Amino acid sequence: MAAVGSAKVALQVAEVLETIVSCCVGPEGRQVLCTKPTGEVLISRDGGCLLEALHLEHPIARMVVACVSSHLRKTGDGAKTFIIFLCHLLRGLHTITDKEQDSLISKNIQTYRRHWKNCCQWKFISQALLTFQTQILDYIMDHYLSKHFLSIFSSSTKERTLCRSSLELLLEAYFCGRVGRNNHNFISQLMCNYFFKCMACESGFEEVFDLVDDYFVELNVGVTGLPVSDSRIVAGLVLHRDFSVYCPADGDIRIVIVTETIQPLFSTSGSEFILNSEAQFQTSQFWIMGRTKAIMTHLQSQNVKLLLSSVKQPELVIYYAGLNGISVVECLSPEEVSLIQRIMGLSPFVLPQASSQYEICNTALVKFCKPLILRSKRYVHLGLISTCSFIPHCIVLCGPVQGLVEQHENALHGAFKMLRQLFKDLDLNYMIQTSDQNHTSSPLTCKNSRESNPLPESVNGLIQRPYQGTIVKNKGKLAKTQTYLKVYSNLVDPSIELETYTPCSTPKVISADTYQTDETLRCLSPTKTSIIDDNEPFIESNSANSTAENTRIEISYENLQVTKIAGRGNILPVRDKSLEMCSSQSYYCSTLPAGCVLPVGGNFEILLHYYLLNYARKCQQSEETMVSMIIANALLGIPQILYKSKKGKDSFSQIYIRTLHALQTNQPIVSSQTGLESVAGKYQLLTSVLQCLTKILTIDLVINIKRQPQEMYDQDSEEEI
Amino acid sequence: MSRLEAKKPSLCKSEPLTNERVRATLCVLKGILTSSYGPSGRLKQVHNGLGGCVCTTSQSSALLSNLPVTHPILKILTTSMQNHVSCFSDCGLFTALLCCNLIENVQRLGLTPATVIKLNQHLLSLCTSYLKSESCACRVLVDFSSPQRLLCLVRSIVTSKPACMLTREETDHISALVLRAFLLTIPENAKDRLVLGKSIIVPLKGQRVLDSTVFPGILIEVSEVQLMKILPIKKSDAFKVALFCASLSGDLSDTGDGTVVVSSRVSLENAVLEQLLNLGRQLVSDRVDLVMCQKVIHPSLKQFLSVHRVIAVDRVGAALMEPLSKVTGTQPIGSLGSISPSSYGSVKDLCPAKFGFKHFLHLIPNEATICSLLLCNRNDTAWDELKLTCQTALHVLQLTIKEPYVLLGGGCTETHLAAYIRHKTCNEPESIFKDDGCTQTELQLITEAFCSALESVAGSLEHDGGEVLTDMKYGHFWSAQAESPSVVHWPDLLSRCGCGLYNSQEELHWSFLKTTRHPFAPQTCLPHEATGSTNNLTLDCFTAKLSGLQVAVETANLILDLSYIIEDKN
Repeated sequence: MAAVGSAKVALQVAEVLETIVSCCVGPEGRQVLCTKPTGEVLISRDGGCLLEALHLEHPIARMVVACVSSHLRKTGDGAKTFIIFLCHLLRGLHTITDKEQDSLISKNIQTYRRHWKNCCQWKFISQALLTFQTQILDYIMDHYLSKHFLSIFSSSTKERTLCRSSLELLLEAYFCGRVGRNNHNFISQLMCNYFFKCMACESGFEEVFDLVDDYFVELNVGVTGLPVSDSRIVAGLVLHRDFSVYCPADGDIRIVIVTETIQPLFSTSGSEFILNSEAQFQTSQFWIMGRTKAIMTHLQSQNVKLLLSSVKQPELVIYYAGLNGISVVECLSPEEVSLIQRIMGLSPFVLPQASSQYEICNTALVKFCKPLILRSKRYVHLGLISTCSFIPHCIVLCGPVQGLVEQHENALHGAFKMLRQLFKDLDLNYMIQTSDQNHTSSPLTCKNSRESNPLPESVNGLIQRPYQGTIVKNKGKLAKTQTYLKVYSNLVDPSIELETYTPCSTPKVISADTYQTDETLRCLSPTKTSIIDDNEPFIESNSANSTAENTRIEISYENLQVTKIAGRGNILPVRDKSLEMCSSQSYYCSTLPAGCVLPVGGNFEILLHYYLLNYARKCQQSEETMVSMIIANALLGIPQILYKSKKGKDSFSQIYIRTLHALQTNQPIVSSQTGLESVAGKYQLLTSVLQCLTKILTIDLVINIKRQPQEMYDQDSEEEI
Repeated sequence: MSRLEAKKPSLCKSEPLTNERVRATLCVLKGILTSSYGPSGRLKQVHNGLGGCVCTTSQSSALLSNLPVTHPILKILTTSMQNHVSCFSDCGLFTALLCCNLIENVQRLGLTPATVIKLNQHLLSLCTSYLKSESCACRVLVDFSSPQRLLCLVRSIVTSKPACMLTREETDHISALVLRAFLLTIPENAKDRLVLGKSIIVPLKGQRVLDSTVFPGILIEVSEVQLMKILPIKKSDAFKVALFCASLSGDLSDTGDGTVVVSSRVSLENAVLEQLLNLGRQLVSDRVDLVMCQKVIHPSLKQFLSVHRVIAVDRVGAALMEPLSKVTGTQPIGSLGSISPSSYGSVKDLCPAKFGFKHFLHLIPNEATICSLLLCNRNDTAWDELKLTCQTALHVLQLTIKEPYVLLGGGCTETHLAAYIRHKTCNEPESIFKDDGCTQTELQLITEAFCSALESVAGSLEHDGGEVLTDMKYGHFWSAQAESPSVVHWPDLLSRCGCGLYNSQEELHWSFLKTTRHPFAPQTCLPHEATGSTNNLTLDCFTAKLSGLQVAVETANLILDLSYIIEDKN
């Protein structure tokens, strides 16, 4: 059984990684020192950083690391939790299969066990995991967990205003896990101040996050040799270079950006300049000088005081700039130029071809422009006047060693990523079975009804087509949905549920059932044959443009994936049928509103654990039960590590019991921790881990090749030829 | 084809500080630093077996930059110190020693890093807020109207570098010179923002230290032959100067990405030379007296200029360009075409000078904040050390003008601070307990570790086996001669405390630094007249020491917090 081997190896790998990573987790976590072959030293508590520094050799380990880093790229947080969670999941799987093998040896095979013998294939488990991830998780999040969510916004009205204190709590909890324990308060305060200073108006915070995340490198300056507490925020933009020539100026300072040398050259690329006489050479030199001078004087006459250039300018330009009282900054990076353009809405100045009698339109005003000296290194400090919702500020990060400064830089950048993610709505899609009769043995009845009643299937396929373009937004249609639901599915009362869940959000609920209310249902039903033909291309086309804004289309794409992975097994994903079986199952798209948070300290994990166990108890299907149980138990691993050092009343078991009791009796959960964490981040982490695990489980053999990868590449190219 | 090689896996070690080897190396480093500390510190001779010159030093910057360390923990420690030194120039050894002591003391306790770091941070903030407060008894305000205090500060720095090999007289001379050089860089009529000038250190090795001098303006070294050509310089009340940053060697400037086709009969060299000579003609007709160029001047142009009695100096170098443009009051010229009259500068006087075996052209400005410090010492290594010392002193003076305070030196600040912290945590522990879950015992242990780390830094000043003591009133540092009799009358044996503020004839009680004492409240609020009366105080830079203290504790915290080391072995 090679597959068992892969899971076993994965468990070994994950356990080793867990021991390293678990010492850095949470507020009690410690630092790790990484050295590079170049001799640089990096201090880190960032899980992604550590994993990459380890240069792991084993292919499974490398796959895990690749999964972690792709998760980090998306969310900027959760690498350590990823490893711990994965490790616990693998451990859970391991114990179950061990039990299974024992039972085989004892030859005490009962019917239930026999079922396991058939089904307990790794591939099957991985499918079950996938099903869980795509269906059950969203359902539980939406139905049970969402009532515990808090919001980062101060009011639940349409106008979203950021609450400073809750943002502080969120950031503090984040930095607790990322920087040294004596600095996290300071850094989170710094970040909070920075954010609120940069924000021009309450509504434009998303733009601020996007901009800071994109241009983070340009917006901070690292200074070594000073204590961390000397870090500060400076208003304006600090460019990481010095003036080529600096002419002090006050009042109106106009700036222009150039992307080419101002001095004309003898020849441009692709052209030829033929020199026939010495006099010609001299006149052309004089012409060049005269022209450069003319441009610079003209710039001065337009009151331009600062020239920003993305290329190196010749000495002549610098000289004339100095004569005309124009300061020059050269060799700006493309990122710096685009940042300035984005803040000021200024486009580069195009050199005129002919005479210099023209108006320069591409200029902008700055408040000030002066040298800034940080640790005897000079920088250019510009007071840009912003035209967007971002008021430029820079962070000066100080630390005794470069490694620490870098750690703080990375942590800050990660925090902006995390916030960016937090303020996006998260779509939850899932299916619930609304008919009581079908509940007991859904796959079977599904199939039955499918065979007996092919009409809904075809209708469904057809009606989806006109729907593609129209996104349900207007309230009228939504109201219709609800009214219909009342009428149509009298089996259960979904309309009530629709109104009650996610109380803090503005639910955008679309039920698949609605399509059947359309008059088209009856009108189009005669053309049955053509409808069935349409069904397949519809799904195909959806998968092609999965990025379309219609959430509905994305769902179908997921479905397609599910079917592909599932192959031809007798256990087709239930969801796929749900599309067809509208009579028995309703299909939900719901949105986790932006800014959902929970208190830190494993609250999310314990809650999800509790609800999963509940779900597993109700659930009849054995594989669902098993997967839910494994995940529920693995979730507890994280709070266990967080509370490892706590004793007595704060120990993990005490907190666990208290929380469960509170949940059972519907009391509010009291948490000793003050910080907050993003729900969306946790949710994404969970899905990433499950995806990683399915990937691991689907591997059945690792083939080791010891050859230069270069050769493989060569072969490929030859074949192409 | 590039070579592709699989990366080797990294080496991962847990709990690095418990490793015996790491402790041993830390101990060796601490030994090196301790023995170099202070005016009576021992010199270290660092020599590289593979080449390079031998460096004799006791300064942290020279020592640490020449000492390669391999272990990552030591690397963190030394780079942290080097970064501190490059920011502040001073207090490098103090920072490194305090950091080493803290690590060593705390490790012995075996407490969890979490508590240690939290409490260290608390004690540090106690220290910094005390040092910044008005009631601080080891901080002295600097009065810029009298140079006495600044001179004390400079002298303390110069005496603390024994590798300069200076006698008492030479020390006084150098201290006075450095202070004069600094005062020359302060502009006379500063407006709202003070921009300091620059002191350029000019090397002159092999001469007596007492021959060192300081001049306003710039000394440009020229060869004797060149100087003979220039002489005699015609006298006038102001010399017109043209300062070029563009090359005057006749090379073609960038011609662009395309091709330039030159016919065979066209000589570009002649064309460029013609252009240069035109430039020369313009300079002559504009009555320029001195032409200086950052790069090379074409020999023909040089010849042309010298025929017309214009002094030409080339290859000035990029480093001198900024001071030169300040001295002459112009922008460097980047054009070979017509020069606008506004680009010429001027100097008040221009005279040849000879010091030792070197010839200089001395540019005396009308009014500028640039001065040249001609520094002499007997040999290369001692000169290097002296240069570093002077740079440190100049930098410290600059820092002091920004924050006009100095700290008492000679170990007194450290012992006083230790006494203050002990007293504070013993009498008002509530302020610390309030937000942290630590116990009274933990606090006491950490306080003891912190304070004894500070005190042993002060104790490192004593290298001759003498006794180190502290008094029970001011908490200052005292050291006594070695081999003292068993029963002593301390006031006779001790004369003055480390900083020189108090003498032993007051009614004081002493106690050994190494022994445990009752916490006592050191006298706070230094009365102004107390410092006014004594002339010969040992002083330290306030900014550098404060930052050094913070950096030391932060670095120690960082190292104590390490749980793993991942070494990339590629």
